Amino acid sequence: MHLFLLIGLVAFSILAILLRDLLKAAISLAVASIFLSVIFFRLNAPYAGVFEISVVAGLITVLFVATIALTRSEGDVRESKLPMILFPFFFVAFISIIINILIVRHLIQIPTVSIPPVSGSFGEILWRQRTFDIIGQIGVIFAGVFSVLALFRSRGRNG
Amino acid sequence: MIFLFIAVPFILASIMPLIGKISRRFLPDLLSNLALFFLLIYAMTIARQLVSGGGVVHQLYFFGAPLNIILLLDGFSLFMLFIISLVSFAVTLFSIDYMEHYGAKGIYYALLLLMIGGMNGLVLATDLFSIYLFLEIAAVASYGLVAYGLGHDELEASFKYLMLSAVASGFILISISIIFGIVGSLNLSDVASGLKTLNFKYAVGFCSALFILGFGLKAAIVPFHAWLPDAHPSAPAPISAMLSGLLIKVSGIYAMARVFLNVFGLQPHDYLSTVLMYLGIISMLVGAIIALGQNDIKRMLAYSSISQIGYVLLGIGLGTPLGIMGGLFHLFNHAIFKALLFLNSGSIENSTGTRALDKMGGLAKRMPITAATSAIGSLSIAGIPPLNGFWSKLIIIIALVEAKMFAFAFIAVLASVITLWYYLILQRRAFFGKLNETWKNIKEAPFWMSVSTIILGLLCIIIGIAFPIIIKSWLKPATDVLSAGIIYALNLLGF
Repeated sequence: MHLFLLIGLVAFSILAILLRDLLKAAISLAVASIFLSVIFFRLNAPYAGVFEISVVAGLITVLFVATIALTRSEGDVRESKLPMILFPFFFVAFISIIINILIVRHLIQIPTVSIPPVSGSFGEILWRQRTFDIIGQIGVIFAGVFSVLALFRSRGRNG
Repeated sequence: MIFLFIAVPFILASIMPLIGKISRRFLPDLLSNLALFFLLIYAMTIARQLVSGGGVVHQLYFFGAPLNIILLLDGFSLFMLFIISLVSFAVTLFSIDYMEHYGAKGIYYALLLLMIGGMNGLVLATDLFSIYLFLEIAAVASYGLVAYGLGHDELEASFKYLMLSAVASGFILISISIIFGIVGSLNLSDVASGLKTLNFKYAVGFCSALFILGFGLKAAIVPFHAWLPDAHPSAPAPISAMLSGLLIKVSGIYAMARVFLNVFGLQPHDYLSTVLMYLGIISMLVGAIIALGQNDIKRMLAYSSISQIGYVLLGIGLGTPLGIMGGLFHLFNHAIFKALLFLNSGSIENSTGTRALDKMGGLAKRMPITAATSAIGSLSIAGIPPLNGFWSKLIIIIALVEAKMFAFAFIAVLASVITLWYYLILQRRAFFGKLNETWKNIKEAPFWMSVSTIILGLLCIIIGIAFPIIIKSWLKPATDVLSAGIIYALNLLGF
C-alpha cells in the first residue's frame, strides 16, 4: 500500500514541476501533498498529517489558486510536448529508486539504537523539547516575509 | 547571556521595517551599527571570558522555568561568532552610504540582521535539526538580499541560488532524517555516541556523502559551485561581502567541520579526509584558473572565493591539529580580505557605475583610499608576507608537508601563484596605468564606505604582524575543539 502512495506522491510531484499551466501545477501539488499526508497518517504521525493536509494541501493551494486567478492573463497556456515525453522517464527513474530502496532495506539489516518511545502530546513535544526550533521557525517566516516585502517594494529607488 | 547573539539581531530585525517607516535612514543605520558593534565587543570580552576554561553549555530559563534551548559556546563557536560580528559590523558601516540609492533601508537591515542572527544561531546550536533550521534562516534572508537590486540579473541569480540551495537543503535534511532514524536523537552528543556504538560504516559513509553534497553546495566547493559566480556578483556589494566573507563559511565549512570532526570523528588519512582534501584541491585550482579570465571584477572575486574555500577545506580536511589551525586561520583571514575586496568593488561601482575591468584604468589617481586598501587586500589574499594571508597559507602548507603530502603542498603553492597573478591583473587594470578620460571627474568613496574599508585593510596588516596573538587567543581554542574529535562531543556536549 505504501508503495502505491509513494508512486502517487512522486507522479503528482513530477507533474507539478512539468506542467506549464500554473493552475494545473498548483492542483497537482495539492494532490501530491494529500498523498503525503496519507503516508504520514499511516506512519503514525497524525500531527504531521493534519498539518500537511490543512496547510499545504489546503491553505497554500487556496493562496496559489487565488493568486493565479487574480494575475492570470487571457487565453490558455499551451502545454509543451516535452513534459509528455520526459514524464515517463522521470517516473520510471523514481519508481525504480523507490523499489531499489525497498529491496535494499530487505537485504541489509540497518542497525538502530533502541530508544524509549516518545511520550507526551504534540504541544508538549513542540514546546518542551523543540523550543529552540520554534525560534528558528519564527526566524524563517520573518525572513520569508521580509524577502517578499523587499522584492515587491516599489521600484522607485527611494521607495 | 549567550542568547543575545541570536536575540539582538532577531528582535531588531522584527521591528526594523517599522523603524524604517519612522526614519528612512538615520535610525536604521544607527541601530544596526550599534547592535553589531555591541555583539563584536561582547564576543571579544564577556563571551571570551566565558570560554576561557573550556566550552560552556548554556540553558535558557523563562521566569524560572527551564526552556529546552541549549546553546553551546566553545572555542570554535566563539571564533566563528567573532568573525561574523567583525565582518558584519564592517558591512553595516559600509551600507550606511552604499545602500542609500537602493531605498527601503529598513527592510534591507531587517534581512541582513536575520541573516546574521541565523548564522549566530547555527554556530551556537547543539542539535542537527536546529543547525538545519538556522541555516535556512540565513539562506532565505540571503535570497531576498541577492535580488535586492530588482534588476533582471539580480532576480535570475537569486532564483538560481534559491534552486541550488534548496537542493542542498534537501540533501542535508535527508541525511539528518537518516541519522535520526538510526540513532533516535538529533543532539550532536547522542548522535556521536550512537554512531560510535553501532559502528555501522555504510550509514556514516552514506550520510557523509549527503552532507558533502549539501554543505558542499552551500560552501560552493567545486563541482557544486555553479550558483556562486552568479549570485555573489549580482548582489549589492555589502551583501556580496557577507555571502563570500561569511555565509559560505558558516553554512558550509563550519557545519561540515562540526559534523565531520566532532560527530563523525574524521581522522587524518581516512576516506572522508581524503575526499575533502581532493575536493579542496580541485576547488583551489579550478576557482583560480577560471578567475584568471574574468573581466567583471566581482565575478573574479567570486571565483577567487571558490579557490580560497579550497584552501580552508584542504586544511580542515587534513584533520591534523596544524592543518585544522591553518584552515581556520585562512577562514578568518579570507573573511576579512574578501569582505574588503568586495567592498572595494562596491566603492568602484558606486563611483564609476561599472564592474568591467577593461573600462577602468588609473582609478588610483581619483580613488586613493580604495586603491590602497584594495592593494592590501589583493596582496594579503595572494599570500605576500607579512600580511595575514601569508601566514595562514604557510601553516596549511607546513601541515601538508608534515603529513608527507608533498603533491598537495605543491598544488597549494601553485594555486597561490595563480592567485597572485590574477590579483595583479586586477590591480593593474583597475587602478594603475593611464586614467580613462571617462573617469576624470569621479570622486573617492563616501566617508563611511572608506572608514569600513580602512578598518578591514588595517586588520589585514595588524593580523599579519601580530599573528601569534591571534593564534594564541582565538585559533588555539578553536583548533583544540575540532582536533579533540568525537571525544569532545561525548564529553562536553553530553550534558
